[in-house]
Amino acid sequence: MGARSSGEAIVRVDGLSKTYGRVHALEDVGFSIRAGEILGLIGPNGAGKTTLFECVAGVEPADQGHAYFGQVPMTERHRSSKLFYVPDGIAPWPDQPVRWVLEFSLGFFGGRRALVEQIIADLDLNPLMPVPIRALSKGQRKRTLLALGLLAPQPILLIDEPFEGLDLRQSRDAAAALRKHVTPDRTFFLSIHQIADAAKVCDRFVLLSGGRIVAEGTFDTLTALAEQRAGRRLPSDFEEVFLALT
Amino acid sequence: MTSRSFWVMLALIGPLVGVSFINAVRSYAEASGRGGTAAGLSDALFPLDGIVAPAFSAYEIAASFLLPFVAIRAVAGDRVSGALKLELQQGMPPISMIGAKALVLGAGWLLAGVPIALAGILWISYGGSLYAPEVGSLVVGHLLNAGLVIALAAAAAALSEHPSTAAILVLAFTVGTWVLSFVAAFQGGIWEQIASYTPGEMLQAFRRGLVRLDLMLAVLVLMAAALVLAAVWMRLGVPVQRRAIESMAIIAIAAVLGFGASFARPSWDVSENERNSFPKAQAALLSNITAPSKIEAHLAPEDPRRFDLEQQTLSKLRRTMPNVRVEYISGTSIGLFEQTSAHYGEIWYDLAGKRAVGNTTTTDGVLDAIYELAGIAPPQVGEAGHRGHPLAAEPTGAMPLFYIIWPLAVLGIALFFHRRRLT
Repeated sequence: MGARSSGEAIVRVDGLSKTYGRVHALEDVGFSIRAGEILGLIGPNGAGKTTLFECVAGVEPADQGHAYFGQVPMTERHRSSKLFYVPDGIAPWPDQPVRWVLEFSLGFFGGRRALVEQIIADLDLNPLMPVPIRALSKGQRKRTLLALGLLAPQPILLIDEPFEGLDLRQSRDAAAALRKHVTPDRTFFLSIHQIADAAKVCDRFVLLSGGRIVAEGTFDTLTALAEQRAGRRLPSDFEEVFLALT
Repeated sequence: MTSRSFWVMLALIGPLVGVSFINAVRSYAEASGRGGTAAGLSDALFPLDGIVAPAFSAYEIAASFLLPFVAIRAVAGDRVSGALKLELQQGMPPISMIGAKALVLGAGWLLAGVPIALAGILWISYGGSLYAPEVGSLVVGHLLNAGLVIALAAAAAALSEHPSTAAILVLAFTVGTWVLSFVAAFQGGIWEQIASYTPGEMLQAFRRGLVRLDLMLAVLVLMAAALVLAAVWMRLGVPVQRRAIESMAIIAIAAVLGFGASFARPSWDVSENERNSFPKAQAALLSNITAPSKIEAHLAPEDPRRFDLEQQTLSKLRRTMPNVRVEYISGTSIGLFEQTSAHYGEIWYDLAGKRAVGNTTTTDGVLDAIYELAGIAPPQVGEAGHRGHPLAAEPTGAMPLFYIIWPLAVLGIALFFHRRRLT
């Protein structure tokens, strides 16, 4: 766990389930998000990561279960004041240039104006400022979305696949930017399917497989759990730990 | 300002108004005496029928076939691009979001009104006259129509997953109202009453310079219901079942309010020649007949006598007599095979229990029957005092203005905004 985190659970998810027809996307999912940490939601494609994010963010209705702020069930008002969710694969306001999108988000969401220049520099967005969103590459669009998230005023930021579409250098820079902006008052919950990326940036992990939570904890906790289940010592490699647990 | 569909609509509205206006001016000139018109005909010409209503008809076409796509893009675009998922997190109530979009679209529609204003200026420059209340009536009618289209398009866009589905829904509604009007013309009765609240029929009233409160209220209720429906379906995080139940409640409330609105009697005849009203002396006398009265006209919907009776007399009577009920009775739609029926063609009058039967469908004939039943003497009515405004003018300057200058100006402004956005 990072030194920033107080260890206090600010969001608790309990018994969350979601089905699409006969497909169980999420089954009795429960975990917690602690203040000031970078929590990684790890799972293979189709594990239910996006569905879980959308249910927690209130973008998709859950069939069962609840999310709580502390002990209080999460309401619409809580969500809009505490959570900001950045979906994957979107191209919002496609005809507008990046500059407009960032300005608009600052005005519309009441974002962190003091951080604009720094975030633009961290994510190398300066050359993209006059370019319409529709003309951006996948990686450029992802960096713009990351900037949108980092500028959002809410203390808890949920980002679906923050490194999707980024090359090695960009992934490293994005991870550095995320680590730079996480504070005791700023918590990140990231959904990542690339284990190596997750290991680089996250303090704790929630492992999701087939719509179920299979483990939750720090790398050391998960390693111990994996070794216990495997009945042997495992190399200090997150991929091995993940495979042993899922 | 970023929507290409808006700029396309704005550019096309000029030529559409141009075609309507230029043809209207030429036809008006011919009816006014150019090329030898029958004496006296030109005296009955009013710009409302000859110029204003035809020029405004361009907006009916645009509202049916251009505006829905602009509105759908404005609402569905955010859903398709994913912007809606971000916007909903701001905490702004969806009804405020959809209301803001509707207002922006309404402002865009007002901008699209510039060509008709230019047509008005051209008409006055030719020496033509305009009667402000009549123009105002058409402006109100077309604004209500546009508002309804925007609201319905917003609801369709929010309800459907894809913009093309929304476009099909809106076009289906438009075509459905046409089918309804067609059925009403054949069947009459309840169909006729329902069809009188379709956008096309509503505009017909405004085209005659008649501002009806019931129509305005019904359209406003429908508009509000469609916007609330759109807001309900924008809430992606609410279970579909709950949204469906809320939608049914909204539709039920709108149906009750719409039904209630249909009982609103006030209406205002804003036409220059007061074509929707009886002469003042007659109106004063008829409005004093407060006893319950009923008129049964045994005429089929397609019978031309019924059309004349309705347009020239009964529609005015409804506006004037406080307690009159009109019913049309027929067994067929065209009446051709009812001519031998014992009562076909008769008009039955019932005033406070006193009954009379007549065959005449003229205004004088109907009113005389009513006066006789009421036991009052018909008033002395002089000749109609409204003379028309004939004008044999050429639509000078209209072609270059609407076909070349307007589209180029719109293109130039669109490019200016596009470049400014990217610099």
